Amino acid sequence: MTVRNYFLPASLPDALGLLETHGPDLLVMAGGTVAMPLVNEGLSLPELVMGLRKAGLDRLDVVDGTLRIGATATLTRLLEQRAVPMLSEAARSTASWSVRNMATVGGNLFTPPPGGDVAVALLALDATVVMAGPRGERSLPLAEFYTGFLSTQLAADELLVEIRVPVADDPAAFLKFGRKHANTPAVVTVAARVTWRDGTVADARVALGAVGPHPIRARAAEGSLLGSLLDAATIDRAAGAAMDECEPFTDAIATDWYRRRMVGVFVTRALRQLAPDADTEGR
Amino acid sequence: MNVHGRRVLDAPREAVFAAICDPDTLLAVIPGCHAIEQVSTTEYRGQISLRLPGIVGTYRTVVRLVETDPPNRGVLDGAVTGPLGTITGQATFRLAEFDGGTAVEYEGRAVLGGPLARLDGRFVEGLAGSLIGQGLANLDARLERQHLAAMEETAR
Repeated sequence: MTVRNYFLPASLPDALGLLETHGPDLLVMAGGTVAMPLVNEGLSLPELVMGLRKAGLDRLDVVDGTLRIGATATLTRLLEQRAVPMLSEAARSTASWSVRNMATVGGNLFTPPPGGDVAVALLALDATVVMAGPRGERSLPLAEFYTGFLSTQLAADELLVEIRVPVADDPAAFLKFGRKHANTPAVVTVAARVTWRDGTVADARVALGAVGPHPIRARAAEGSLLGSLLDAATIDRAAGAAMDECEPFTDAIATDWYRRRMVGVFVTRALRQLAPDADTEGR
Repeated sequence: MNVHGRRVLDAPREAVFAAICDPDTLLAVIPGCHAIEQVSTTEYRGQISLRLPGIVGTYRTVVRLVETDPPNRGVLDGAVTGPLGTITGQATFRLAEFDGGTAVEYEGRAVLGGPLARLDGRFVEGLAGSLIGQGLANLDARLERQHLAAMEETAR
């Protein structure tokens, strides 16, 4: 059995129509950088494939202080935008140029760990995902989108169409640690962002990748930062909390033990970048 | 492949056990399940469609209840067949009264055949765990709705 039909719908309604007609037998593909290797290796044997790259879902612009990223906007385009620097950094740390030219931001949300680095940054930025289906559009905070390993709130008859990110100039840090410098799966990915008010931390986001069933927010670590000056003791506490609450796994890249240790190290480094006296090296 | 886990449901043991043996409930709570029929008192056949990143497919499922001790425990024997191979295995579940609700504990072992067997074990185990977790969460929500409906009925 092999691919019998490849559909290339020219609009979102056409794509949703095809999904409704063919139901769960239709493989939905954006950039194809996850799906095609599986198909070529015989690990995925779809008869019907729908490519989304002509469906008009590739916008990337700022509207009223919100960066609107179409689900099929490529990682290369995300890298080149300037509105949200952390997303540019996250895109740069993902895969290689050739893959980034194909891979999409929407697809990255469905890439199982240790992939999905851009999703980690999006979590720290309070991104919202927009889904479309026969019942119309709905949106959900990305933090509520994931329901488990390889599973999300997206219904079988819906498509992810857009990701919205509020543009803010809060200090933010993105660190990906892999076994080599580039084009590598993560041991751990950390994205952190703080909002300062009157000299203390009023709000904080710490998101982790490759240490859970999906990109996760380290909520205990976030909570421990509130009201603090982001001093060394606070950062230590937050890193410890993140180590406790992550759920690392063992794979060919790293053991769960090592991943947990690296959560501590990289949460610390990310938060130090955000501290007011960020130049205190080796503190 | 091994899976195991535990979840506390907010419903009495008898109700949970009955729900696990009821085809209509199973159809409603199993993620991706779109057909189920009871072939005999202990055997069920169903179809489950999964949409995963890069992988789609419909899987035929046969489940037999090989041992039951209502409302304490049950042993299931099952086979799943689809385009990517087969999964055959056995699972045991135990229901215990816990804090006014029911603690469901399960453990299962399965053997994978065909292309599926080439996937990283973490993927299949992670996916099985996440499907069971979602199924139990759906079951919890459904039992709660039924309970609320019954209460409203009594109040009337």
